[in-house]
Amino acid sequence: MPPKSILKKSAVAANAPPAARAVNGRHLETAVHHANVLEQRKRVELDILRSVMELMDFPSQADADSTRPSPSDAQRFRQAVVAFQPSDYDALIEERNIADKCGYTLCPRPKGKAPSTARKQFVETSKGVQIVDRKKLEMWCSDDCARRALFVKVQLNEEPAWLRQGDYGTDIELMVENAEEHHKTLPLRLKKEVTPAPQDTEEEDAAAAWAARDDALADLAIERGEKPGRLSKANKDLITDKIKERVTKFPPMPPSLPQQSSGQSHMAIEGHVPKSARDAEQAKDSDDEDDEQDWDKALPG
Amino acid sequence: MAESDPKARQELLDMWRIYRTTKEMCRDRGYNVLPEECDIKFDDFSRKFGTESGMINRGQMNFSAIPSEDMVRKYTPPATAKTPAPEAQIGTLWVEFNGDEAFGMKHLRDFITHLTTGSYYSGIMIVVKPLSGMAMRALRGAAQLGNGPNGGVEVFLEQDLKINITKHELVPTHLLLSAEEKQQLLKRYRLKETQLPRIQVTDPVAKYYGLRRGQVVKIIRKSETAGRYASYRWAI
Ligand SMILES: [Zn+2]
Repeated sequence: MPPKSILKKSAVAANAPPAARAVNGRHLETAVHHANVLEQRKRVELDILRSVMELMDFPSQADADSTRPSPSDAQRFRQAVVAFQPSDYDALIEERNIADKCGYTLCPRPKGKAPSTARKQFVETSKGVQIVDRKKLEMWCSDDCARRALFVKVQLNEEPAWLRQGDYGTDIELMVENAEEHHKTLPLRLKKEVTPAPQDTEEEDAAAAWAARDDALADLAIERGEKPGRLSKANKDLITDKIKERVTKFPPMPPSLPQQSSGQSHMAIEGHVPKSARDAEQAKDSDDEDDEQDWDKALPG
Repeated sequence: MAESDPKARQELLDMWRIYRTTKEMCRDRGYNVLPEECDIKFDDFSRKFGTESGMINRGQMNFSAIPSEDMVRKYTPPATAKTPAPEAQIGTLWVEFNGDEAFGMKHLRDFITHLTTGSYYSGIMIVVKPLSGMAMRALRGAAQLGNGPNGGVEVFLEQDLKINITKHELVPTHLLLSAEEKQQLLKRYRLKETQLPRIQVTDPVAKYYGLRRGQVVKIIRKSETAGRYASYRWAI
């Protein structure tokens, strides 16, 4: 390519209007982009609002079985929550509870009843007696519903749906006992066995849900052609496991200039003073230091 | 009435104040409210709205209010060639007091259903605790959801109505201009509405008067030097 003439180039640059137009164009693009994001956000939020309003009345049949939901209810539930963030899901649970319903969308039973109407409740758990918000205690009609509900929650995307790339996200799985009744293509999870959970705390529920999710991720890894057990291409553990909190041993000090007076600067190699040079210097100084301390002690009071 | 427990009595007292402020608010907006409703004595109030045991019965306090002729005039858009007889954008108001510990979408939906089936133009709900997050979102997005009464739904916290903020000496008189008065004002001063100073519809005084976006209020201040002077604000 022949070298471009400087004159010609500067002539273009001096031609202000097209350049300004280009800048304006970029600004316009940015503005349009922001407007689109805002528009998208409004649409998604309205969508979620409508979904919460619909799902707070679920299931459609008053005699539905939370462990064996009807295929249409399960399908609608899974579809609707894909756009949810975990906080939206919490909001759905809250709305169901306000309406006196069990927090799990596919359960028709009323929410739990705490022993008393006090705001804080004492609860017997495996870790001894704990104080729990009444609200939390009354969220579910049973531990089983808590487990099934949390299984859905851990699959939700933390990122707002209007910022997600492409589709809203992946399919949401449910824990059901009647997988055979649901359409074959639906990735519904058949619960292996009903584990007796006499005194489940919420943490244990969450742990169970996480474990279930890990299984699901393993399936996903195989589907992606990754070897089970190996590190996944999208493995979060790679980072989270290795985080170590930095512990401060002493209060932070502002950086100070290397002491010019020490007379070591001529020994420094790119700011570093070799050990041998340092030792020699310290031996020389030690007498002076003793003197200083003595002088200090001599002060009255 | 026997000696009731202090807590119930305090609640009854609070609700008496809240009731009076609510009635005053309706009066100040231009609804027909009788003076004795705003000035109801505590004894009369507790007889009317208290239970045998001295507890408040909020359900009894609900009421409706009809706009005065002057209010209807203010809320009627100017006649044009296309609509020679425009309809007033105001109508019967329904005011409800809800004592539930949590107010969610279910309550909001029930309230809206009540308003639409009762053909109310607008509704005011007075609640104990702030709405749930979703109910708040639903309230804000009510227009997009496409249901509910024409005049919308407003929600107040009991706490905010214990005293009437407009009775405070530092709060000047706010007067709503009719659409016609607004046009005259802009014409006289050769202004566009966007050039007026603004008042947010979420401002407590704006909320008290139920200002809607686009309306203009005349604010009359007392001044030691100038006597009285008026300014205008555009609600956004
Ligand atoms: Zn349940």
